[in-house]
Amino acid sequence: MQKVTLTLREKNRIPIVADSITPDNFAGLSDRDIEQIPVWHGNSQVFLGDIFEVVVDGSDNAENVMIEINGDVSRIKRIGQGMTAGEIIINGNVDMHCGCTMSGGKITVNGHADNWIGCDMRGGEIEVNGNAKYYVGSGYRGDTTGMTGGKITINGNVLDFLAEHMSGGEIHVKGDAGLLLGLANNGGTIIVDGDATMAAGEMKKGLIVIKGTVHEMLPVYREDGTEEFDGETYRKFTGDVNIRGKGTLLVK
Amino acid sequence: MSELIIKNAAVCDPLNGINCEKMDIAVKDGKIVESVSSNADTIDAKGKLTMAGAIDGHTHCAGKINVGRLMSPHDMRMNPVNGLSGLQPATSVTRAQAGYNTPNTFALGYRYSKLGYTTLSEAAISMMAAKHTHEEFESIPILDKWGLTLFGNNWQVMNYVRDEEPEKLAAYLAWGLKATRGFGIKVVNPGGGEAWGWGKNVTSIDDEVPDFDVTPREILVELAKANEDLNLPHSIHVHCNNLGKPGNYETTLDTMKIMEDIKASRDRQVLHLAHLQFHAYAGNSWREFESASTQLADYINTKDHLTFDMGQVIFGPAMTMTADGPLEYSNARMLHSKWSNKDVELEDGAGVVPIVYSPKSFVNSVQWAIGLELALLVDDPWKVMFTTDSPNGGSFVNYPEAYSLLMSAKKREQIIETLPELAIDRMVLPGIDRELSFYELAVMTRALQSKMFSVDTIGHLGIGANADIAIYDIIPDKIDAGIEHEKVKQALSATSYTIKSGNVVVQDGEIVSSPRGKTYWVNASGRVPSEINEVTLKDIQNNFRKYYTVAMSNYVVDDHYLPNPIEINTQEA
Repeated sequence: MQKVTLTLREKNRIPIVADSITPDNFAGLSDRDIEQIPVWHGNSQVFLGDIFEVVVDGSDNAENVMIEINGDVSRIKRIGQGMTAGEIIINGNVDMHCGCTMSGGKITVNGHADNWIGCDMRGGEIEVNGNAKYYVGSGYRGDTTGMTGGKITINGNVLDFLAEHMSGGEIHVKGDAGLLLGLANNGGTIIVDGDATMAAGEMKKGLIVIKGTVHEMLPVYREDGTEEFDGETYRKFTGDVNIRGKGTLLVK
Repeated sequence: MSELIIKNAAVCDPLNGINCEKMDIAVKDGKIVESVSSNADTIDAKGKLTMAGAIDGHTHCAGKINVGRLMSPHDMRMNPVNGLSGLQPATSVTRAQAGYNTPNTFALGYRYSKLGYTTLSEAAISMMAAKHTHEEFESIPILDKWGLTLFGNNWQVMNYVRDEEPEKLAAYLAWGLKATRGFGIKVVNPGGGEAWGWGKNVTSIDDEVPDFDVTPREILVELAKANEDLNLPHSIHVHCNNLGKPGNYETTLDTMKIMEDIKASRDRQVLHLAHLQFHAYAGNSWREFESASTQLADYINTKDHLTFDMGQVIFGPAMTMTADGPLEYSNARMLHSKWSNKDVELEDGAGVVPIVYSPKSFVNSVQWAIGLELALLVDDPWKVMFTTDSPNGGSFVNYPEAYSLLMSAKKREQIIETLPELAIDRMVLPGIDRELSFYELAVMTRALQSKMFSVDTIGHLGIGANADIAIYDIIPDKIDAGIEHEKVKQALSATSYTIKSGNVVVQDGEIVSSPRGKTYWVNASGRVPSEINEVTLKDIQNNFRKYYTVAMSNYVVDDHYLPNPIEINTQEA
């Protein structure tokens, strides 16, 4: 077991790109080594030690590395990008692209997350104990396959374009979702406990469940009787018929 | 005065009949010379394969490729070919690089240089967008470029063809080449591009073009004649009608046959057929789709008036881009893909659609085989230019993959085994055991281009040639390319040295300097009598007044768009 604690020295106004904060990069490193990892602060290069107080306890490989980040990192982007194993706990708000393209391990955000959290995710787990903004678990611009595996749980609300181009994995939002969630879903599972607006356009396959109210239901689905989910009965819709989709949309 | 001597090179230089012979090459002031002083810098090639800088005679490197970039932001992160794709940060010598099928301009220059390429021929300059094309040329580092100007659907061309005014036609072509600073005449789906303006297409060389009362046959023949009248360095460069349709090989044969009687004004072909793979399909429907490479190769083997390029398909993602508007519409519909459509007023159209060639698809597998079949079934390598129609059949960074396929029957066999059975039934590739030598590869990638485009300073290593040289980490007589195909592919993927105009630009696969390239263009106006020029100019001005949305003064490419021009004057030749 290796525990790395990063405590923010001072909140930054100019954004920092910290894709180097991953268990894979920190595995087996001492506090001295980690302090000397370069990151971009605006257009100039600085070192992790300039931004965080670094405390390391133990030394181990990536699966057994636990990184705890304390402080408001709401202007620090790309934490946990591409990680394959280990754990990151962020005690505070976090900036965009957290955990994007990750394929394993777990990220917990005890605060709010910004846009693009978990986009292009391949595996692993993300839990946000707060709200998240736009494009949670989506694919980047131009791609037709976004998130393909793993699980994202948001214990608060999310804004628009949740899970665009998702083609695998699972997303569970315990609050409300914004506009156009699950656009072009191609095999992912999306569960929203609250309300949503214009859900599930252009779905090819996969499952989308909205437990609250769907505002402005898109007129592109065929009603197919009812289906049980988690012990409750939902109206079942199949579509998107415009693109001969075989996806399932369950609404109350 | 800079001097350089390359010692112990295994030189493969088909234009001078040299086949992997050990010799030294002396370079002075960017040219290859007889000898240099003892102060010259020395490169010890240690017996490695040394060729002239390669020439890509048909690539989409400026112009439409920019539409591809706009459409596919995800391409910027694609990284299937290690070291030659994806995001690469700036170094002290290079700018930042990104992309795969539609890389940024800097990546284009650097990556082509790493493969040993030193000259590019952009396959299509849209006249209206010529300024943009030259701006893109300027930001592609290291390489020399030229572009072929589109004339096959041009209103003024079709009017002169219908009215049987060959002199005015030639005058207009000369004006157009100068106005666009173009190198030669490109014809794309003659008549079909204009018909697409009405949602239609032409389906044979004898269909009539709506409202113009001409046929593709007439457009092709008249343009070929005018091309020879103007004594242009290149022949007409033709993308036939019916690209990508089952059964289209008959149209392709018709196009070849109507050029048999054209007299060449120079020692070269009178017709170049672009990306022949896409035009070599038999069968009446996609279900009956099969290779027609035998039918085409049999004809080509008996004739000497034409050359062609392969248009080889590479499995994986690619980006189709062409002035063939109606084709791209059917591509987008068939593939459920994104589609960009362009109409260039009075002149042509264009489209861009991303595609993925899958080895699981029987049609894609047969397409993959046809490119190789054509190159291997045509006996004379001096008729076959190596291309993937980059990035239509696949990005240029995959050239080494295709080289090794041409050089190794074993490698082909290994891939064919994995293809669908239906595909194997519809191709002739499994029965072909020919393997190309380094000499033949040098013909298809360098020497032929020098002849085809009549540029005698490139594509060879004789005295007086430009010092564009590629040295590969391979000892030609110590390798059996048929068996060690993986090693050949690796070595051809990154040169030990690429030398451009006497400067070392690549060393051990890394860019070490990034000089500016030159732009060639052809001035044929000296071949046009001044009285013909005057009346033609009146017609052009009239067109601008009546139809164009831009003024003529804003249309023509000025000299300052070409900071390093090389003007080829056809009067002097």
